[in-house]
Amino acid sequence: MATAEIRLQPARMNGRRTTQSRRPAVLRLFQAERSEEIFPLLLEEIIALGNPRALVVDVNLDSGEVTPAAALKWPRAQMEKFTSALWMQDHPLTTILHGARPEVLNKSTLHNRPIYVHPILYSNRNLCWEADRIRTSSCLAVQNSRREKRVRLEDQVCTTCEMRAYAAAVVVELPKNHTEQAVAELGELIDLANRYLSRLFKVEHYYNRMRDMEITIAQMGTVMQSMADPVILTDTQHRVIMQNKAAERFFRVPDEMTEGLVRAVEFNNLLFSAALSSMLVSGSDSHRDLTLVDAIEGEEMLFEAVSAPTYGPDGIQLGTVTVMRDVTDLRRADQELRLNYERLSEAEEVVRQDRDRLNLIIENVGDPIVVCDGKAKIVLVDPLAQELFGTEMDVVRDTVQFQNQTKLTAFIDAFTSSFSDRETAPLRLYNPTLRQEIDYDARSGKIFGERGQVAYTVTVLRDLTALRKVEQLKVERRMLEIEKFAATGRLAATIAHEVNNPMEAIKNAIYLLAGAIPENAAPVYNILKSETERVARIVRQMLGLYRNTEQVKPVNVNTIIEDTLLLLNRQLQRANVELQTELEVLPDAVIAADQIRQVLSNLVINARDAMPNGGKLRIRSRHIPGYDDLHGWVRILISDTGSGIPQEMIRSIFEPFVTTKGERGTGLGLWIVKGIIQNHAGKLSVKSRVGRGTTFKIDLPVVKL
Amino acid sequence: MSADRKYRVLVVDDEAAVLLTYRLILERQGYEVVACGTSTAAIAAMQAQQFDVVLCDYSLEEQHTGFEVISAARKIDSSIPAALLTGYATKETADEAASRGIGVMFKPIEIEEFLATTSNMLRRNNESKQEGREEDNRGSQSGH
Repeated sequence: MATAEIRLQPARMNGRRTTQSRRPAVLRLFQAERSEEIFPLLLEEIIALGNPRALVVDVNLDSGEVTPAAALKWPRAQMEKFTSALWMQDHPLTTILHGARPEVLNKSTLHNRPIYVHPILYSNRNLCWEADRIRTSSCLAVQNSRREKRVRLEDQVCTTCEMRAYAAAVVVELPKNHTEQAVAELGELIDLANRYLSRLFKVEHYYNRMRDMEITIAQMGTVMQSMADPVILTDTQHRVIMQNKAAERFFRVPDEMTEGLVRAVEFNNLLFSAALSSMLVSGSDSHRDLTLVDAIEGEEMLFEAVSAPTYGPDGIQLGTVTVMRDVTDLRRADQELRLNYERLSEAEEVVRQDRDRLNLIIENVGDPIVVCDGKAKIVLVDPLAQELFGTEMDVVRDTVQFQNQTKLTAFIDAFTSSFSDRETAPLRLYNPTLRQEIDYDARSGKIFGERGQVAYTVTVLRDLTALRKVEQLKVERRMLEIEKFAATGRLAATIAHEVNNPMEAIKNAIYLLAGAIPENAAPVYNILKSETERVARIVRQMLGLYRNTEQVKPVNVNTIIEDTLLLLNRQLQRANVELQTELEVLPDAVIAADQIRQVLSNLVINARDAMPNGGKLRIRSRHIPGYDDLHGWVRILISDTGSGIPQEMIRSIFEPFVTTKGERGTGLGLWIVKGIIQNHAGKLSVKSRVGRGTTFKIDLPVVKL
Repeated sequence: MSADRKYRVLVVDDEAAVLLTYRLILERQGYEVVACGTSTAAIAAMQAQQFDVVLCDYSLEEQHTGFEVISAARKIDSSIPAALLTGYATKETADEAASRGIGVMFKPIEIEEFLATTSNMLRRNNESKQEGREEDNRGSQSGH
């Protein structure tokens, strides 16, 4: 805090005073403009009153030191005695200073002549402006003046304006014949001077305060300007009183005015005003998000505006301080975070659904599933596999499960280290639920890790017992059908055989009668001959069935094709038929070889008959693998380049006694073919185009048992 | 063999009507035919005279088969051509016939085929016999 400086200027005063004409002391003191002028003037006036010498001691209220500050006609050597301190209680000067009442010391340690010691203290009769303004009576100057409540020298600081008071004492050597009247006048003079001093002192204090405030304001201004966030001080009408550079960027119309910029700034101000109003209305919630346009960069920025009302000393709101925080990046980061989180959640959801779906699939496969790691150690089993291998992966107490595990591990171990990606192998395991050993089909696949190593193997164990049983039954039934067909054939053959001999006789007799028939009986004879030949053919065909006495067994169809062609080759050559075969590697089919031979023979003969002028006969065979490892088909294709079958006949060609060969056919060939293929659970179809040729397709089932 | 002597054919069939027609057809063709209705009669006929060819039904009386008759004929003349006439033949039968050099003709037999097969058998057998005889002659001459 500011304190009045009291300077010792004896030389200057001496020179001036003596020459000028004297004016009343009141006026001279009144002329003083600065506090430091008071003491020299006072001392001069004291001397002018006829006192031999005088001095002023000043109290340093910070240190408590009491030292002479100004003196007139006082020998410098004698001044030392007036040096004291507030804590030196026995020093006469200190006593008087504490007592705050002037005293005349006729004989003292201080001086060998009577002296008048007048303590002075910062005092005013009226409250200072500060106390006046804030309506308090607690003013140090007034308190000191009224002496109602003594304030100790050590505590001489105003509680209202924080001004530090001054304390001093004026020491005057009294003339020998001094009167009480003169001492009283001296006291009045000193009091008057003190009043002036206090007044000046107060002004100087306010000046200092103002200077301090300016510094403070400058500092605050610097602080405000140096803030990167926009700070705006507005009045109650939302008019901008003050704003920092960061705020100017958004709210001040820039020097180089373009329409866009002005509009942006206007828009910002509008938004800001609206935000302020809304904050004012809501009262408690004093922050808002605010999107402003950067007038220079032209980009939108998101701010969080925090407002606080500013109040005057009287508690009336003066305006609002708003600090805006740039949360663009923050919000963007927040948004990104949120977006990423959402994506993550979605991905998680997808994964979860996949997992659920997979679990559902696994649960519904109905076959035991085992997942092993790269070291063939079981890591996951489904409930069915649990029955076989146990629930605990590491400790298995059940012997059956242990044996099963050993078998599985041996297989998985070999598979894991093999080069194939998938493998199917039979695995005989004991099923504790069924209480029997089951031949499982262990189908394994590999799941590779990032570095291409085997991370997991998945094994599905398929119990094919039931399926095999069904297939076995099917085969048995088929064999029964074939046998039935053969039996029918046998019956037909027996009848044919019985018919055969009489017919042989009839046929021979007709031959023998040739030439002995009267001419008019010739047509009848010819009917007899041709119809007998027809019966002979039918009988021959029926007898052919009976020759198929072979058993049903696995046979390679290619061999049958080759056998048949070997037998018929000469006939084909004679008919000028070019033979072409394409036989692929086939699995064995369980068939009655003789019956299939007859099928092929019938079809080849038909083909030959369809090409009376020669042509091309193409016989192909191939393996059609089934949807699983168990089933499949052997396909035989017999194509000719013959006359073809008219569309309207296609449906009926497999019916008995239907023939395209007229007199030469029995109409039984394709019917027999159809019967045999049906008995073998095979499929027979025909494609034909008149003039182009015909293709018969035969599919015979192959079952791996 | 030459035109001075007719080929003698033995035909065996248990069906009398069939047997008769075979005999008539073969005789019309110019063969000398002996027709027998049973295996016993056939074997007896073979012991009485020599034949150039045997045509025999497969199934004869009382489970007897044509093989028996042909076997008997081969005992007398090991190179005699023979053929089975049958309505049916199992694979085994057909295989056995093939392995023994016996022809098979399935009834109903086309008469042209019947006659062609018979004459073929006779011609082939005659040719091989003549060759054999010539070789025998050369052998006896060199011995002298």
